[in-house]
Amino acid sequence: MNYFLGMLACAFAVSAAAEDGVTAGSIKIGVMGPFTGNASSYSKAQIGLDAYYKWVNDQGGVNGRKIETVLEDYACDSAKGVAAVKKLIHQDKVFMLHGNSCSAVAMAIKPIVVEAGIPWVVAHAANGNISSPPVKNIFHGVPVGKTMGIAMGQFVASKPGLTKVAVISHTDDWAKSYCGPANEYLASKNIKPVVQEAFERGQTDSTAQTLKIKQANPDFVIACLYEAETAIFLKDAKKYGLNVPVMGTAGTDLENTLKRVGDLNTVANYYVPHMYADNLDGPRLKKFGDILKKYYPNESVTAFSLIAMGSAMAVVEALKRTGREPTRDKLITELDRTKDFDTGVLAGHISWSPSDRDGVKDVAVAGFVKGKPTVLKAWGKPL
Amino acid sequence: MFALQLALSGLAQGAIYALVALSMCVVYRATTVVNFGHGDLVMAGAFVVYVLVVLAGLPFLASAVLAVALLFLLGVLIEIGLIERIKAGPHIGFALMCIGFGYVLRGIARGVWGREVLPMPTVFDFPPVIAGDLVVTADALIIFAAVGVLLALFFVLFYRSSAGRVMQAVCQSERGAALVGINVRAFHGVMWGAGAALGAVGGVLIAPLTLLHPGLGASFLIKGFAAMTLGGFGSLGGAVAGGLLLGLAEQWVGGYVSTKLIDVTAYLVIILVLALRPNGLFGRAVAERV
Amino acid sequence: MRFYILPLAALAIPLVANPYTQFMVNLMLVYVLVAVGFNLVLGNLGQLAFANTALFGIGAYSAAMLMAHAGWPFWLVIVPAGLAGAAAGFLASVTALRGIRVYYLAIVTLAFGELLRWSYIHGERATGGTDGLAVPNSHFFGIALDSETARFYVFLLIVTVLVKAVSNLLQSKIGRAIVAIRDNELATASLAIPTGRYIVLAFTLSGFVVGIAGSLFAVLIGRVIPESFGLIELILHFAMVLVGGLGSLLGSVLGAVALTALPEFFRRFPGLYEMFFGGLLIVFLLVQPRGLSALAARWWQPLRDRYYREH
Repeated sequence: MNYFLGMLACAFAVSAAAEDGVTAGSIKIGVMGPFTGNASSYSKAQIGLDAYYKWVNDQGGVNGRKIETVLEDYACDSAKGVAAVKKLIHQDKVFMLHGNSCSAVAMAIKPIVVEAGIPWVVAHAANGNISSPPVKNIFHGVPVGKTMGIAMGQFVASKPGLTKVAVISHTDDWAKSYCGPANEYLASKNIKPVVQEAFERGQTDSTAQTLKIKQANPDFVIACLYEAETAIFLKDAKKYGLNVPVMGTAGTDLENTLKRVGDLNTVANYYVPHMYADNLDGPRLKKFGDILKKYYPNESVTAFSLIAMGSAMAVVEALKRTGREPTRDKLITELDRTKDFDTGVLAGHISWSPSDRDGVKDVAVAGFVKGKPTVLKAWGKPL
Repeated sequence: MFALQLALSGLAQGAIYALVALSMCVVYRATTVVNFGHGDLVMAGAFVVYVLVVLAGLPFLASAVLAVALLFLLGVLIEIGLIERIKAGPHIGFALMCIGFGYVLRGIARGVWGREVLPMPTVFDFPPVIAGDLVVTADALIIFAAVGVLLALFFVLFYRSSAGRVMQAVCQSERGAALVGINVRAFHGVMWGAGAALGAVGGVLIAPLTLLHPGLGASFLIKGFAAMTLGGFGSLGGAVAGGLLLGLAEQWVGGYVSTKLIDVTAYLVIILVLALRPNGLFGRAVAERV
Repeated sequence: MRFYILPLAALAIPLVANPYTQFMVNLMLVYVLVAVGFNLVLGNLGQLAFANTALFGIGAYSAAMLMAHAGWPFWLVIVPAGLAGAAAGFLASVTALRGIRVYYLAIVTLAFGELLRWSYIHGERATGGTDGLAVPNSHFFGIALDSETARFYVFLLIVTVLVKAVSNLLQSKIGRAIVAIRDNELATASLAIPTGRYIVLAFTLSGFVVGIAGSLFAVLIGRVIPESFGLIELILHFAMVLVGGLGSLLGSVLGAVALTALPEFFRRFPGLYEMFFGGLLIVFLLVQPRGLSALAARWWQPLRDRYYREH
């Protein structure tokens, strides 16, 4: 009887000690992304993430274990998002979560993740409220909206002689996560927008907005617009003679915007916050583009594709440091030891601590200088 | 000049809405089905053009014609293969069927292009015409020209030719038309084809103006509804007028009231029309047979 | 009494479910209520009204706002959510009364729903805008709603009560009148039955039921955002009723369960969900347009529902 109880206790202890999602040969990471639906182009971030983990596996994995990614689609819908995260946590029993592009859904699943205590590295969603105030198990692996908004605002304010600013943006939370902080920063410098125009996703003409902005005669326009709408607005701006600099968001990148509008004159005045260490087709990012191409040959590289690779690198480093017996608590401790980590892909270095989970605080701005995308420190000052 | 420029853009947009509304109306008149998947047919037209121009390397005009022809075929196939088959079921089933194939089309586009947002290479590289303060782009001119010609052709066909008389006969009374020997089933197929083809033209015209993505069609569906409602459900001319007016309304509301309202102008129009003049501008009050 | 077999059997579910599967069951319960409510108007009354997401959304937002801003506990917000839905349903019925033709009603109610959604987006502090409103943890007469299991029992109770009420209604004089109006409004009117009143009643009751479903949804997801109540959601509701069987109570249940479970199977193939969903709808309409309930009735005669749409 005692022997039997002893065996039972042992079995119990062993099963209790083995962490969810870790087996002898693999570590399961849950990757949530909007692979279908209106926001499906955001999921390029998760694709890049997956490609990187596959590459790590081909390099030998982490301490002898392969990373097994479990991809879940939630189409930016809150019900699907809750279902996906519960499945990952309770059914697939993953070790950690790494993903998410849609901020609203991320906020919806946050209480579930907090309660489950599972480590969650936010790979793309920009809402700073997800990771602050800091909770035990949530890490932000990309610059948050506030960081980017401030970078945008700082650049705009650095233009000499700037007095009037106009804003054109979508009214969804994605756009607000950029334009909100940008406006706040400018307000702190006593610059308030002279007009704020709404240009919704799916619309194909911005005549009304462009004309109203032109009438207001601003020195700079801040455009919190998605890819298609940015192209439409820039084309309309050129068409109606609105020749002022335009500050975009990290939802677009210079190379692809040029491709979309088709000619340099239309984008010559376009600037974007730049999260990467180089231009998308620059030498320092080539390695990452190649990794993407290797595992997803049909995937084109846009502003979203490489963004999650930075946090993936930090995760892999932290996992390596946890040694042969990774546990969630050990991972959290190691993630918090990430300091000034240069990922090679992000412009900013990643630093996490228990009191500050906003991992990436540096964002530059890029614009066309002499026809080539160039990273800038401030107006007219290339890096 | 502000009002005029807005009007110009509004009419250019409205021309596309008119086309979409007309194509939906054609389908409705012929088979009493409102095609809830019509937006996705428009999207399909745009995507087929993209494939032909970018991947097959054909010149734009040839691609456009080919795309329209292919969509015509698709329309016919949908009608014969899907719509006819469920004629015996509840009328509401048609709506779901249309939604269903709309989803399939969207799914195919997403399956092939996944997460991409695709640019159409610039087709017409002419500089805009500037008349005083007014700017008219080549795109707008082409839209006006194409839609104008198409509408003219359509109405001439419908009201003047013998084929048109056949159409009118079937629209007025299917049984009567069948009695005089008109192949009503073939007619249904052809009309769906025509509707799909017209929708495809809309897609072809909108493709150079915007980026292509699988969800492109959604907004056109609603605008089509609003235009049909405004013009009077079932009235072909009304659909066109409704489309143009809707385009104008959107720009003027955006220009003079608030750009936040542009997105819901279509819905406001629908509700206003219902409240004030339920039969729309050109619809006739239909007496219901008891 | 036969009615209670299913709910009683369902009591055993928490014994075998993990939080994920329990969540899915809870979601199914919410959608059963949604489908039952929608079917009242779509199937029993026979009106193609696309107001369901408006009713669902207004119920969800009312519940969320009362809980988040006024601090009301869940049990207190259920009825107000239902009343909000009922009010919206009432408005929609006014449209129907004007004798608007089939598709017109669909489009107007659709427009109504989208306008409501626009107001949620631009409602700023009241509705949380595009970020939505977080629904605080609450309780149901002392039972804390912080676990899927607790929510299950509470939802099961509410859904069973409401569905039974609808079932009783359908078997009553009112239900028969509603179905009669569907089959031939003029003939019904000629029998001195006040058709207008019954149309309004059907819409309002539908709104009440779906509004309460909205409050359940708000608690289940924990957050209400405008995106959840758009056209994609409407299509889901529509599909549930049609796939289940127009006018059939059992059909609403079957359709809700089937179409909630379905997307979960498509997780294997991220990116192909839309194609599968569309394909499924098409296949279903071609093969079994009368719905799952017709299929069920074919196997077991007692399941046959008198208020089907017979075509």
